[in-house]
Amino acid sequence: MMQHFPVLAVMLLFLAAFLVEIFGSKNKVIRNGLTLLATTNALVMTLALIKPVMMNGEVISYWMGNWAPVSGYAIGIGYEVDALSLFFGILVTATFWLSSIYSIGYMNKDHHLGHYYTLFLMLSGSVLGLVFTGDIFNMFVMIEIMTFASVALTAFRNDSEGALEAAFKYLVIGSIGSSSVLAGVAMLYSQCHTLNMAQLSSILSGGLTPTSVVAFGLIVAGFGVKSYIVPFHTPAADAYAAAPTSVSMVFSGMVNKAGVYGMIRMVYIVFRAMDHSSVQMLLAVFGAVTMFVGVTMALTQHEFKRLLAFHSISQIGYVITAVSLGSALGLTGGLFHAMNHTLFKGLLFLCAGAVLYRTGTTNLDKLGGLSKKMPQTTICFLIGAGAISGLPPFNGFASKWMIYQGIFTKALTSGNFLYVIITVTALIVSVMTLASFIKVTQAVFFGQLREEHNDVKEVPAVMLIPMYIMAALCVICGTIYPLVSKYLLFPAANASLNVGDYIDKMMGAGYAEAAGVPTMLVEPVTFSFWNPVLWLILFGIVFFAAVIVILLGTNERGKILTAGEKPEAKYATFFSGEEEMFSQVGGSDLFWGFKKNWKGYYKVFTELHSGIVTDYTSYTVIATAIIVMCLFIFMR
Amino acid sequence: MIIVNYIASIILIVLGFYTVCTKKNLIKIVLGLGIVDYGINMLIVSFGFNEGGTAPIYQLSDLLNGVAPQFFVDPVPQALTLTSIVIGACVDAMALSLVVMINRKYKTVNADEVRRLRG
Repeated sequence: MMQHFPVLAVMLLFLAAFLVEIFGSKNKVIRNGLTLLATTNALVMTLALIKPVMMNGEVISYWMGNWAPVSGYAIGIGYEVDALSLFFGILVTATFWLSSIYSIGYMNKDHHLGHYYTLFLMLSGSVLGLVFTGDIFNMFVMIEIMTFASVALTAFRNDSEGALEAAFKYLVIGSIGSSSVLAGVAMLYSQCHTLNMAQLSSILSGGLTPTSVVAFGLIVAGFGVKSYIVPFHTPAADAYAAAPTSVSMVFSGMVNKAGVYGMIRMVYIVFRAMDHSSVQMLLAVFGAVTMFVGVTMALTQHEFKRLLAFHSISQIGYVITAVSLGSALGLTGGLFHAMNHTLFKGLLFLCAGAVLYRTGTTNLDKLGGLSKKMPQTTICFLIGAGAISGLPPFNGFASKWMIYQGIFTKALTSGNFLYVIITVTALIVSVMTLASFIKVTQAVFFGQLREEHNDVKEVPAVMLIPMYIMAALCVICGTIYPLVSKYLLFPAANASLNVGDYIDKMMGAGYAEAAGVPTMLVEPVTFSFWNPVLWLILFGIVFFAAVIVILLGTNERGKILTAGEKPEAKYATFFSGEEEMFSQVGGSDLFWGFKKNWKGYYKVFTELHSGIVTDYTSYTVIATAIIVMCLFIFMR
Repeated sequence: MIIVNYIASIILIVLGFYTVCTKKNLIKIVLGLGIVDYGINMLIVSFGFNEGGTAPIYQLSDLLNGVAPQFFVDPVPQALTLTSIVIGACVDAMALSLVVMINRKYKTVNADEVRRLRG
């Protein structure tokens, strides 16, 4: 019974996609009902797998058409759900479920929603299929479906500024990535004559031929494109900003995590390349550059969703750096951060969508003071901003702390100065993230309310519910992380490191030993260095103190100046007497010194993001070539 | 000679990437993507080819009795290539339709002028 769940979850999503197109293009109830039904079903089915996979350590395998392996040779396409797959599977289904609820409210002003939900369900089915499949070519097909659905969804509001352009860039860069994965898969097949990942892993454990090394480089580069690490990140920023927000949330939450999943699956399980320090250092450098460039670009943005998109890239850098360490601690931290990023970035995108839904703009210079009109959105946004900046007691703090510890331990054990630099980079990036979110909070939710937004209301409940669920999860994951770690993170990290066990469960007992892959048990990672509950109590006390101080104070809050009015003389000193400045301290004004002094530095990065598609393709092709060449030369 | 296939497919892939990186016309970029795809397809088919092998069409009884010759062309890469060709056609169709719509909106297909999203 249980082994049918993964394939049913994927198939029903695809089936619902076609049913929506046939029956739901006119009827709103059927459309929303089918979408909700399919995504809820996928969520329930993946959650039902937690007990056998996460707790009992089983691997759920399903051979399509019952083509089970014959005499140790995997012929058919198999679905293999181990703890790593299931960990990402839960994230996928939860994200899509929340996004489908949000879409009901958010998309109700658009037309042709039948097409929207068809593409949405195709996207969810392909990402879930990518995560669950055990066949490397099936993975490529799922990547392609994912790319198509993403491109079409990016261009869905094709009358909005830049949507078509973003979709085109996304398609071109995405295709280069897919092509490089396909070339890698083909070369791998020529060496191993199988496409099943468990069997590939056992064959490749006998040593890599030069062709397999090239294949490895191409596949790593391909999944790098799919996870949008720098310098492949350029279309991601455009697409996340141009897509409808319910889709941006899915892109940032899950579509780039699919690339990260592919990277972990390939590097740790199929090629088992993490013993090579060259692979570790290559990925670590790419991760560090990704987090730094992402946050630098985010600081210069004036557009809410584009800013969030660059932060998304930056956070993926953390995940890749943590994954690159090759230690149980690093991998656990990386997986935890991937999960947390899905939660808080999804939440932040939903808040941006709520602002866009009510005000019609995401330009930071045209917003302000919305906390008075949209208090619930503001609270959710503050939780998300706290989480992404790594403030306790939210989840971002716990995972970032693990990552810092992982990198620093690596620096100590390997004695490599590179890791010291990366630790410092990670800390600086975290500070810059906080600065950037202070700017956004000030520009959108605090300060003076603009006159044209006087009649703005809170968003409808159907949009608030997903926001509240994500906000609650952000706090819960930050406080009860020992449980999260025990039931989700550790089994997933263990599954990635204990490859022999995975091969045995797929191909039959004793298979791994015959191929020379050791089955080892990984020691659970322990964290005893900080207590989230104490932080929560402290947070509560500070919060109540602030509330009391506010209640004791006067009710005077300042008012909006209309055109003719003069500001009070006693404030004039602070604003050099300029009336305009008095009315709103915008986000751009907040860090003006920061911006002015570092103008040259920002200019370099801004000019590199030129918007010309040939520049972006050149970065992609050159970086792919560099990855392949580095691995070919240094990986022995 | 099979080595000719490998060299030709690598040349195709390199030419495709060259087109994608240097040509400013959006339609040429799409064609470049197509050429990369064709090169990879040729590579996959060549991987499965055995010189002098027969077509892999047998009945199960032939294989079990050992009647069939053991040396035949690998059918799996051909199936992969078919899938990949279909996907490649979809990429081209979708990209070209996007170019048509970009041309309507921006009145140009020059990559240097289609850059409203930048910085």
